[in-house]
Amino acid sequence: MDPYKTINCKVIKIIEETSLIKTFILEPEKKFSFATGQFIQLTMPKIGESPFTPSSSQFAKGPFEVTIMKAGRVTEKLHELKANDTVGIRGPLGTSYPLSEFEGKEVLLLGGGVGMAPLRSLLLTLLYEKDKYNKITLLYGAKNPADIVYRDQFESWKKRGAEICRTVDAADKDWKEKEGVVTCLFDDYSVNPKNGVAVVCGPPIMMKFGTFKLLELGYAPESIYLSMEKNMSCGIGKCGHCGVGKYFACKDGPVFKYSLIKDIEGIWE
Amino acid sequence: MEQKFISNEKVKALTKKLIPDYEIFYPRRQEESWDWARMEADSEFTFEGHRTVLPLKYFFYSPQENLVEKKKDKPRIIFGARGCDTKGLSLLKKIYLEDPEDPHFRKDILVFSADCTTYHPDCFCTVLGDQPWATENFDLNFSIVENGYLVSVGSDAGAKFLKDHGGFFESARSEQEKSMSSHRTSFEEELKKFNGNKVLDLKDLESKIEKHSDVFKEYGKTCVSCSSCTNVCSSCFCFFLSEGDENKIRYMDSCQLKSYARVAGGANPREDLIERFKHRFTCKFVYRPQMQGFGGCTGCGRCTAGCQGKIDFQEVLIKVAEAK
Ligand SMILES: Cc1cc2nc3c(=O)[nH]c(=O)nc-3n(C[C@H](O)[C@H](O)[C@H](O)COP(=O)(O)OP(=O)(O)OC[C@H]3O[C@@H](n4cnc5c(N)ncnc54)[C@H](O)[C@@H]3O)c2cc1C
Ligand code: SF4
Ligand code: SF4
Ligand code: FES
Repeated sequence: MDPYKTINCKVIKIIEETSLIKTFILEPEKKFSFATGQFIQLTMPKIGESPFTPSSSQFAKGPFEVTIMKAGRVTEKLHELKANDTVGIRGPLGTSYPLSEFEGKEVLLLGGGVGMAPLRSLLLTLLYEKDKYNKITLLYGAKNPADIVYRDQFESWKKRGAEICRTVDAADKDWKEKEGVVTCLFDDYSVNPKNGVAVVCGPPIMMKFGTFKLLELGYAPESIYLSMEKNMSCGIGKCGHCGVGKYFACKDGPVFKYSLIKDIEGIWE
Repeated sequence: MEQKFISNEKVKALTKKLIPDYEIFYPRRQEESWDWARMEADSEFTFEGHRTVLPLKYFFYSPQENLVEKKKDKPRIIFGARGCDTKGLSLLKKIYLEDPEDPHFRKDILVFSADCTTYHPDCFCTVLGDQPWATENFDLNFSIVENGYLVSVGSDAGAKFLKDHGGFFESARSEQEKSMSSHRTSFEEELKKFNGNKVLDLKDLESKIEKHSDVFKEYGKTCVSCSSCTNVCSSCFCFFLSEGDENKIRYMDSCQLKSYARVAGGANPREDLIERFKHRFTCKFVYRPQMQGFGGCTGCGRCTAGCQGKIDFQEVLIKVAEAK
């Protein structure tokens, strides 16, 4: 098996989430499955390859989804894709969220911006077997109401049993929920760090302050899980790019327990 | 395992016989240095000398290559690889061949190593506690003795080769084995002496690198981020995967380049030149031993020899390792 070979996927549908973010529904030509939190390398033929985390449930059969923010060379081209175009994928790659460690606990998902993509996959995966967990909560922050991804889906997640609090950095006149950076959601939400785990994903600065807040609230470093975004090239532990201290984020991560990496210099950059 | 002897004449005859079936490379002398050359029927070669200018690793993968199934070249034999290069293969094999295996890293190469008989002024294998002869990752090793070579077997493939070409080899005599040992000892002593009889204790290097980061500030300031040091290294393995028209292309890459760790949006954990310079040491002497079980430096001194900023990497290492 050549780990550099891609599996072709047909673009079935494209959903415009925000002005910069689109969700792509992809149908792999061959059997493909992943565990929530793992990532794929998505190839735009002749252009390049970028890592993304599937945003759909690991239990969903057939097509899967990725949610992509336009951020540079490759993602710009990805945003030009149309239905029926073909892309390539390699994967699944890296570590996943350790669901068995979450069982019987209150699971708190803390997300910001497009960091919601892996968290949506986790949320949907958790909700599928929600009786295994004591409680499932999503705390989500975006810059402003127009930047919220999956905007029509929050209601249905609530109906299925998730508790959800949202905030935006800058509200507009129609916004009725919280205003402020994501950590302000903890003002009104009482956590259960003794029997809880927290999963954080978002822009580096949000990950940093989110993690510090969780520690302050009493979460043990072993109970906080981070999805680390590093420069990645091979995705299989060979090219060296994704180093987080001695670890390769593509192979030893991207999902890390905070306790494993807390002493490494520069993890938030 | 039993050692063999092969005479100078028989080595010539053997290589002639091998040329049609193998692609053979050997270290060709260019005044005071050695470069890799393809063996032809009339090539004049010797196992004397020290490491080549370019590392052994590029026989196993190319600095730039299309990652497509290649039509099978002839299998390769590399003559005259040195101890520092064969040692460097340990880390490379760990990275490229394990979990998942990289099918583009060649496995059909026979390494016929040779004991060093001279050294380059930048050689410092002994400072790391290593020997100037191959101790691993070789198939056969050639040690110069009177009128020929003492041949030691390093792998099953090497043993098979000896068996298949038994007519060229004869049993070694005990005085030849003694002569090899004494050559080795005296050359090792000579190189140790040249390097001030230092053998570094690399145990606490992790904390020392942090504590004495001013050493990196002092030495790193002439670094121009050219990436020579990583390109010529016996054990640097980093690459960048890119998209060709039909396939993926792998280019060698370097942690010394500014864009290496940059992510979309512009954040860069190693934007700073000195951080990158220091990172190279931490990677080699701390991270890779901890995670892969093999160090990333074998003391070949190529990084020093190739440095555009005239940085002596051995000196930097010694400064940090000997700091209190
Ligand atoms: C595990 C993981 C999961 C992720 N999941 C998601 C997700 O679900 N959704 C999402 O929107 N984002 C996700 N990201 C971030 C996403 O991968 C980046 O936004 C994307 O790679 C940006 O690529 P770009 O080419 O558009 O940006 P650019 O800024 O153009 O490139 C990003 C980096 O890639 C390298 N690079 C790209 N092209 C070249 C080249 N030609 N030569 C040299 N270097 C080059 C550079 O080092 C550059 O700094 C994830 C990242 C990781 C690591
Ligand atoms: S570093 Fe040691 S093994 Fe390598 S060429 Fe120099 S003397 Fe030989
Ligand atoms: S770091 Fe320098 S001395 Fe060490 S193996 Fe690499 S090139 Fe040789
Ligand atoms: S992306 Fe290549 S080693 Fe992690």
